[in-house]
Amino acid sequence: MPTPFKALAELCEKLENMTKRIPMVSLVADFLKSLETDDVEPAVSMILGRALPKQNQQTLEVSWATLSEIIRRITGVDWELFIKAFSQTGDVGSAAKMIFENSKLKRQAPLFERVLTINEIRQGFEAIAQTAGYGSREKKERIIETLLSLASPIEAKYLVKIIIGEMRTGFHEGLMEQAVSKAFQVPLKDVQRASMVLGDIGTVAAIAKTEGREGLSKVGFKIFRPVKLMLAQMANDVAEALKEHGGRAAFEHKLDGARVQIHKQGENVKIFSRRLTDVTESLPEIAETVRKNVKAEEAILEGEVIAVDNEGNPIPFQHLMRRFKRVHAIEAIAETIPVNLYLFDILYLNGESLIMLPYLQRRQMLAENSGEIPLTKQIITNSVEEAEHFLKEATDSGHEGLIAKKLDSEYVPGIRGKRWLKIKPILEPLDLVIVAAEYGYGRRREWLSDYYLAARDAETGEFLIVGKTFKGLTDAEITEMTKHLKELAVKEEHRRIFVIPKIVVEVAYNEIQKSPKYKCGMALRFARITRIREDKTPEEADTIQRVREIYEKQFLKKGNISLRNSK
Amino acid sequence: MFKLKVADAKLLRDMATAISILVDEATFQITPEALKLRAMDPSRVAMVDFEWPKTVFEEYICTEPTKMCINIGELLKLLKRAGKDEVVELALDEKTGRLQLKITGKYARNFTMPTLEASEEEVPTPKITFNVRAKATTAGLRQAIEDAELVSDHVRIEADNEKLVFQATGDLMGATIEIKKGSDALLDLEAKEPSKATFSLSYLSEIIKAASATSDIATLEFSTDMPIKLDFQQAKEGKLVFYLAPRIETA
Repeated sequence: MPTPFKALAELCEKLENMTKRIPMVSLVADFLKSLETDDVEPAVSMILGRALPKQNQQTLEVSWATLSEIIRRITGVDWELFIKAFSQTGDVGSAAKMIFENSKLKRQAPLFERVLTINEIRQGFEAIAQTAGYGSREKKERIIETLLSLASPIEAKYLVKIIIGEMRTGFHEGLMEQAVSKAFQVPLKDVQRASMVLGDIGTVAAIAKTEGREGLSKVGFKIFRPVKLMLAQMANDVAEALKEHGGRAAFEHKLDGARVQIHKQGENVKIFSRRLTDVTESLPEIAETVRKNVKAEEAILEGEVIAVDNEGNPIPFQHLMRRFKRVHAIEAIAETIPVNLYLFDILYLNGESLIMLPYLQRRQMLAENSGEIPLTKQIITNSVEEAEHFLKEATDSGHEGLIAKKLDSEYVPGIRGKRWLKIKPILEPLDLVIVAAEYGYGRRREWLSDYYLAARDAETGEFLIVGKTFKGLTDAEITEMTKHLKELAVKEEHRRIFVIPKIVVEVAYNEIQKSPKYKCGMALRFARITRIREDKTPEEADTIQRVREIYEKQFLKKGNISLRNSK
Repeated sequence: MFKLKVADAKLLRDMATAISILVDEATFQITPEALKLRAMDPSRVAMVDFEWPKTVFEEYICTEPTKMCINIGELLKLLKRAGKDEVVELALDEKTGRLQLKITGKYARNFTMPTLEASEEEVPTPKITFNVRAKATTAGLRQAIEDAELVSDHVRIEADNEKLVFQATGDLMGATIEIKKGSDALLDLEAKEPSKATFSLSYLSEIIKAASATSDIATLEFSTDMPIKLDFQQAKEGKLVFYLAPRIETA
């Protein structure tokens, strides 16, 4: 029998109120066991807050605004009530449940009465993802409206959460792997390995149910089917990275290029971009280099392609991207924009997956199989000074920074973890003014904890937003800040308030990017408040002209391309 | 194998437009007697029941029953190229599985388009006891719907033996459109008991607007809080019927 969605919603509601992991895992395992095969993958995805399987490139593209409009249409509540419910719970799904419970509903009936099943909801999601073109927004709205119309309050809560993609039950992918292992009596290690390779625990669960351990063991790499990339988190500095990796780590130059995954089988070479699209045609000479140098019959390699000037010095990334965009006239561009390949990882070699091997061993195998192709420059150290020196060397030669890699780490496809950490040189901190703030979520829902940071325009006196952050302040400081900001409030809309520019904070960040998001055209990346500058007035804060100066300075190191050209 | 010839491209275009209101990928059934389609929209709130018997066509050849699914939006793009009174011919190229579309008028044009995997879903006819039956001009219905649309996104349709009323209530504005029995717009009205039901205008207005291009007279049948049936009278025994589920208020 197809499982009703209500059972899934009730399960999630239980999970939300549980804290102990073992009972949570058991509960989910029992649920998975009760499902028909066709419901397994959709249920696993939905419990993790995914409307569609993770590998699926499609997304629902349903905004919170659209969703709230539909809820409002069904329930007929006015905006104020709606905002109140949202502010009270700080959670879209819970707000929906509250409204569904407390209002007369104007439901859109279906043509034929029926119970919402997991399967039907998945079909609805697929239909939403497939709508495109003229009138697609309206079609999406109709589908969601019908689903929500059939939903009870608790079903509405989880439907909304899944559509928005914010589950917050505390039941994460790692626990799901345990639940799958328990439900279908397959070793956890096998589940984890298959999950790494396929990058989707939902699919793995379905295989575990139908084919058991044997099925899982057959899951493997296939040449020319791109593997999701392992991603790095950001670290503030080399010291933090060393600490995170247990005192000793490998550091590699982080090149400012395009990451590529290269698949080779015999004379056939395919190159995939960061987004796993086939870019082989854009990089004919890289394919040729691989053919010439990699002797192995079959291999999957990863590396960075960078654009260089005539002396071989790296030049900015934007130039390289032209290569990817222009598929035509590649040869002409290949002459004007030469590129170099640097390798840094190997995932597969002659029928064997290497991703479970420790980093050091993979790097060794990479060196043995890359011929004359250079590897990214690397050191292994436990010394902060040595690592800092290496970082300086990297940035001085025009590279972005470093990647720290944990020596014994596996390659984990599709995950942005701490096993790899990006380190970029810290730029001088800026003193900025808070001009607006938003209420946080969950634990922080009653605090103004997300701040808009602005720099003063020395010419007009206007404050221009350059970034937003919720990082850096302690709970006590946030409480104090909330009180202070409320006194300065001039306008309130939804969960955001605008304030008189008064409070100055010192802000650290890793980069200033070009960005259409803010009026000034720039945005701070990874901004965090380092202290509250009570000693400074807004007039003494840094100016937008100063921000622009730092922004332009970033480029001076990388070749001689000035900002004006790329603006 | 089939070959269908329609004497007036506009006829086909208007029909395809009406179907496209609810479905993107339309699975047609082609039998030796008729061209048929029965489908629900993706949110399963409305359905369309369409049939053109072979008499509608200038030429109709179908040796065995066939199913054919096409993207109706793409078909419309091609049909838009045809002028009034131009002849359209549809045929399936069995070798390539593509639909061939030939438009002839001042000159001849040949298009081909892919066919898609046909839907296997059998859509049943809703079983409803209707208490109200109203025969109205599509022009009159259009007016009423356009008025209602100004103030709200849904409309309540009410009827007794005297009148048909469209009642729209928005956040700020309201509208009441009353059509009395015996007026030019209302040709006939029978109510076994007074009934009322509310419908989403996003569906209703699109259906009525598109279908009124194919028809001058429509028969509405409904009951309190039940789906409405809209039967748009077609020339030459053709059939174009829509069902739309209501919006229901629950405590």
